[in-house]
Amino acid sequence: MMPLVKIVDVEKVYKTGSVTFAALRGVSLDVAEGDFVAVMGPSGSGKSTLLHLMGGLDRPTAGRVEVKGVALSEMDETALAKFRRAHIGFIFQFFNLIDNLTIRANVELPALLQSGRDRKAVRGRADALLERLGILDQASKHPWELSGGQQQRVAIARALINHPTLLLADEPTGNLDSQSGQDVLRILQEFNAQGQTILMVTHDAAAAAQARQVIFIRDGRLVETVPGRDVQKIAQSLAALTGT
Amino acid sequence: MLAVWQKIKADVFGRPFISLLTLITIISATTLLTLALATLLNLSQPYDRSFAELNGAHLWLYFDRDRIRRRDVEKIEALPEVTESTGIRYSITSRVQIDDTRVWVSIRSTPVQQPQVNRLLVQEGRYLLPHQTEVLASRDLSDLYDLAVGENVGVTRQDGKKMALPVIGLAYNPTWDTYRNTQPPYLYVSEDLFQELYPDEATWEWSLGVRLADPEAVDAALAQIEALLQADAVRIHTDWRDVKESANFGAQLNFIMLGAFSLFAILATVLVIVSGISSFVLSQFRQVGILKAVGFTKAQILWLYIGQYLVLGLIGCPLGLVLGILLSPLPLKNIASSLSTTFQPPLNPWIVVAVLVSVPAMIVVATWRSARRAAKANIVKAIATGAEAPAKKEFWLPRLAARLGFPIPFVLGLGDVFARPFRSLTTGLNLLLGVIGIVFALTLNETLEIYKANPPLLGVAYDAVVTRGVTSDSRVQYLLGRAPGVEAFYGEYRVDVETLAGETFQVRAVDGDVADFPFRILAGRVIRPGTAEVMAGQGLLDWLGLGVGDELTVVLDGWRHRSITWRIVGAYTEPVNAGQMAMANFSTLARLLPGERPAAYYLKLAPGADTTLLKRYFEPRPESDLNLTLAGQAIPGVVVYLQLALFALSGILIGIALVSVFNTSLLAVQEKLRIIGVLKTIGFTPSQVITMVNTTAGFLGLLAAVVGLPLGWVFTKSALAIMARSYGFGAVEVPLNVLYALALPLLMIGVSIAGSYLPGKRAARVSIVNVLRGE
Repeated sequence: MMPLVKIVDVEKVYKTGSVTFAALRGVSLDVAEGDFVAVMGPSGSGKSTLLHLMGGLDRPTAGRVEVKGVALSEMDETALAKFRRAHIGFIFQFFNLIDNLTIRANVELPALLQSGRDRKAVRGRADALLERLGILDQASKHPWELSGGQQQRVAIARALINHPTLLLADEPTGNLDSQSGQDVLRILQEFNAQGQTILMVTHDAAAAAQARQVIFIRDGRLVETVPGRDVQKIAQSLAALTGT
Repeated sequence: MLAVWQKIKADVFGRPFISLLTLITIISATTLLTLALATLLNLSQPYDRSFAELNGAHLWLYFDRDRIRRRDVEKIEALPEVTESTGIRYSITSRVQIDDTRVWVSIRSTPVQQPQVNRLLVQEGRYLLPHQTEVLASRDLSDLYDLAVGENVGVTRQDGKKMALPVIGLAYNPTWDTYRNTQPPYLYVSEDLFQELYPDEATWEWSLGVRLADPEAVDAALAQIEALLQADAVRIHTDWRDVKESANFGAQLNFIMLGAFSLFAILATVLVIVSGISSFVLSQFRQVGILKAVGFTKAQILWLYIGQYLVLGLIGCPLGLVLGILLSPLPLKNIASSLSTTFQPPLNPWIVVAVLVSVPAMIVVATWRSARRAAKANIVKAIATGAEAPAKKEFWLPRLAARLGFPIPFVLGLGDVFARPFRSLTTGLNLLLGVIGIVFALTLNETLEIYKANPPLLGVAYDAVVTRGVTSDSRVQYLLGRAPGVEAFYGEYRVDVETLAGETFQVRAVDGDVADFPFRILAGRVIRPGTAEVMAGQGLLDWLGLGVGDELTVVLDGWRHRSITWRIVGAYTEPVNAGQMAMANFSTLARLLPGERPAAYYLKLAPGADTTLLKRYFEPRPESDLNLTLAGQAIPGVVVYLQLALFALSGILIGIALVSVFNTSLLAVQEKLRIIGVLKTIGFTPSQVITMVNTTAGFLGLLAAVVGLPLGWVFTKSALAIMARSYGFGAVEVPLNVLYALALPLLMIGVSIAGSYLPGKRAARVSIVNVLRGE
């Protein structure tokens, strides 16, 4: 079966003046549909760069990134934006909600971009998601009126409203207290159980343990893949990787 | 302090784009301020300036040639009150051909070197050259007959031969009184040419201009001069104070309009500096947080930003001043022309000091205010958010737009208008000033078009005028009765009268029935033939404090023992002499004017009358003494010059608004980079990002147009009402052209979108990864 995400010999080099930095060096990876993959590694190892390339936020210096059989690097900016809108959902460490929109408006935003004419259906989907995430009663509030955990739930709802093919989460629990972090991970697991493909970048072994498989990355190269659910093994691999 | 200075240097030179943008803002604002102050400078005492510069004559004497001798003139020049003299000036009153119109002018012998006393102000073209067959025309001939430099004037020599003389320049004479029209317009020729055209010295008219030791003692000096000469040797005279009064009267419209525009421009300068600098400072919110985190005190942060923008101000301000000085001739030469004065470049030390002090002062105040706000912010929040928190309250308009199904980029762009209310307000005000300027210029233009198309609105109730020379009045009346296409006519004789309180004005003594003419009657009715009735121009009634129904008693020059009393039966729009004239039946004055008959005849033509045929009828031969002139424009020349200046100033105001929109949009984009990154992440296309940025600016443009249209219209209406009162027009119709009203919002949206287009493109190119990595 064809993988949902196919990454082949991807390299990414950043240039700042005369200084070059290779964030990814010949990474190849497949993510199957319905999988839940966690990516771990020390700071600067290339985790977020990998996530950005998968989400079409950036283009590889070399190699190929395909999502659903579509080569992202061959698309122009507009086509890429439309592809992201339809197929990719993003969750960020700092939530990145839009302050002067209400919670409901934040969630509806990608759906209105995708199918702006059917506002009633969009409203229904947004409210259903908010209800499922337990924050429907906050729908008329603004982001600054909510706690961090609640804001991350809003971000999850926004990421899922267009039923994305792939959900990308960059340190989704990094800015939350432990209880809120656990709640977010539980929610992600629930959606994964229903078939949502998720790729999550994290520093937290406990968070990574919620995934089905964990990929370790160092200095821009994939170094190890271990099954999820095994916190001890994950912690050992991480310690080996970071030398702690 | 060293740390502050190092950071100032790093900020100024390390961020060349922002420094350049700040410089452009400061330069454009300084340029505008220089132009505004230069406009005010050029509006200041225009007549006094030109009079002083041209060394004008305080008194001009026109002699009766039969009662004056050269020795008499020497006696006048020797009077202690007389400090300088023009020497005898020779002239001939003659009719010349301008285009197809024959016009009475005074052809004057003039030295080819500009004289010491009463020099001419050449406003277009050049002054006379020796041994050239050419003519320098008074600017009034251009205003009245559209005579332009390069055209020819047909002159008849004393021997009867015709000559075409090219006009090489248009000039202003500081002692020619436009108000009283005691002299026909002047044509200046060299002394050589004058002698060649009119060799018989006996036919030359003599006049003399003198400067007085005490310029206010004109009446005493005149009395002394008259005492030296034979009785009535001085036929008429011109007092410089009367000319000044006329000049200042004619300029008052300019004072109102251009004064208002200058204040607009000063306000626009303040707005563009305050909004620009405040936004630049507040866009560095994160940096302020970092500086505080590393130990900068609030005072050091204030010094840092004040120093940084002051450095840029001290570079940009002189550049803007120089640019303003270089650009000033564009609008200000027209203003100077309309005021009949010399153009004053803004090199005046007061302007230079005012600009060099006020702009840096504005920069310091704007920087201090914003830096203080930024320095007060919580360090953690400042570093985390990177920008001052936007207004939290969501405005109803974006919500309504969302509910109505407007596209999301449009709704978000609309929301951004209200996210930074102060910045939107200052940018909106900049645009508003531009709109008011445009509405003002366009409405003035539209009003003039209506008045040009319908001369009776301005009191021009006739279609043509016939003047006579030697042909008798009865013969002219006979001809007029049979003239092709003439529906009605009346004769007119102008006479100077004086009220019992000593106010002098002119009366149109009319012979015929004026009821057939479409006079614009403001109150009452027109006079009936043969009655002791008078109708007065609104300007005269306002001046004398009289109204319809009152009596008006006057005396004629030389008939002080016999007065005439008329009953005022109507007020009408009088196009001449600021409406300070009256119209009475000639029959009531005939006994005081023995042997006099009307010399001008006003005609009402049938619709579609053949004016060429009519011209041939009255002027069958070139030497005919009858002259037909079709009614021309009655719009004061000053208004036409003013229009040009207003359009130029409106363009400058719009240019400044464009700079303001560009700054605001760019800084909004700078502040919103994170949000733009997020929006692109969730699927905003580049064109949707541009649409969002353009919507914010476009909405401000629309808002400015919607508010500015009625405001501008009310402003124009008020200004024209003042003008109408001054000129005695009565009420002025001020139309608001529907097409303009519809087009202006589109124009302002277009201007705003143009101003925000580049910032929008920059936003569209934002790298999502770079923005998110900034977290």
